[in-house]
Amino acid sequence: MAPPLRVPAVIRWAWLLAALPLLAHHSFTMFDMTKQITLVGTVTEFQWTNPHSYIEIDVPDAQGAVKHWSIELGSPSILQQSGWKFHSLKKGDKTTLIINPLKNGQFGGFLNKATLPDGRVLGNGPGREP
Amino acid sequence: MKSSFLWLPLLASVAFPQAPASPPDLTGVWGIYRGGRGADPKLAPPPASPLVLKPEYAKPYEARRAAEAEAAKRGEQLANTSVRCVPYGVPTMMSVAIYPVEIIQTAKQVTIIGEAFSEVRRVYLDRPQEKPDDVAPGYYGRSVGHWEADRLVVDTVGIKPSVSGYRGMPHSEQMRITERLHLVASDVLHDQITIDDPVVLEKPLTYTVAYKRMPATYEMVEFVCDNNREYVDEKGVVRLKVQER
Repeated sequence: MAPPLRVPAVIRWAWLLAALPLLAHHSFTMFDMTKQITLVGTVTEFQWTNPHSYIEIDVPDAQGAVKHWSIELGSPSILQQSGWKFHSLKKGDKTTLIINPLKNGQFGGFLNKATLPDGRVLGNGPGREP
Repeated sequence: MKSSFLWLPLLASVAFPQAPASPPDLTGVWGIYRGGRGADPKLAPPPASPLVLKPEYAKPYEARRAAEAEAAKRGEQLANTSVRCVPYGVPTMMSVAIYPVEIIQTAKQVTIIGEAFSEVRRVYLDRPQEKPDDVAPGYYGRSVGHWEADRLVVDTVGIKPSVSGYRGMPHSEQMRITERLHLVASDVLHDQITIDDPVVLEKPLTYTVAYKRMPATYEMVEFVCDNNREYVDEKGVVRLKVQER
């Protein structure tokens, strides 16, 4: 009896290949890739680290209450292939980020694009340009 | 007796064409080349042969694949070795996403450095292979190589079974990996990788990784996994730690 929910191999691998160029070691499943949120705030830390880089950012809401977000990027190897440098963002920088939020509702997400203080817009590595 | 040994070099040269006086120089940094639209089909890697596991290994492998697909539909990723952020080992380190590999070739040794996880392999050209049973199982095993005309043939044994295999395939300590590296153009390198495992595989499988030479100015990036925020929750699902403030 054939398992009814079996995904054809071609589809499985096509999906994996699409995910591969950026995230070498985990899938996108924890993020809601169908949803985009814009965060306008102040960088508290830019972590140029492996296996992923992170932008830590304080974001005030309409009432002025500050929420803190952790935003995941690719690794330094991947990011530097598309214009990022370790000092592209610094503590205190004002920036606008467009992200895919975590599905579980925690204040975390996956970067789509960032507007740097000098006005440049960067994506999240090759294949994920703005 | 003595005279029969004199034949050995000749026999060897029949079995393997002599190493060229000056083998091609593979030294350089090589980026993964996936071909794609508009690419020269001669330079793109040929398709892989199918992965055919013995039935007792195929069943759990397929079950795991199905569970992963089901989890993905729920928006979850099941725990796997990548969450621990340990290196990939051989042969996976030869084709990690878009991370380049650096090859340093000398007369006696070819050293391959993968940018992801800063992995290092050493291929000895001046000594024979050990018996697989005599090689301590590890991520890189033991590699020896020789030139067959313009191809560098690399033999690797000693990959420990917990090191994730090709497409997550299981493997035993008897796995043997044979690679044939050759320049298909001055700036395009192919690594044809054949995996044989008499315990796990019904038949050997072969796939090819293609590389394009990176600009000479490219400098390899270090990679130490010191900020791994992924963890596995009590349900075996991968989660991300966010910073609480």
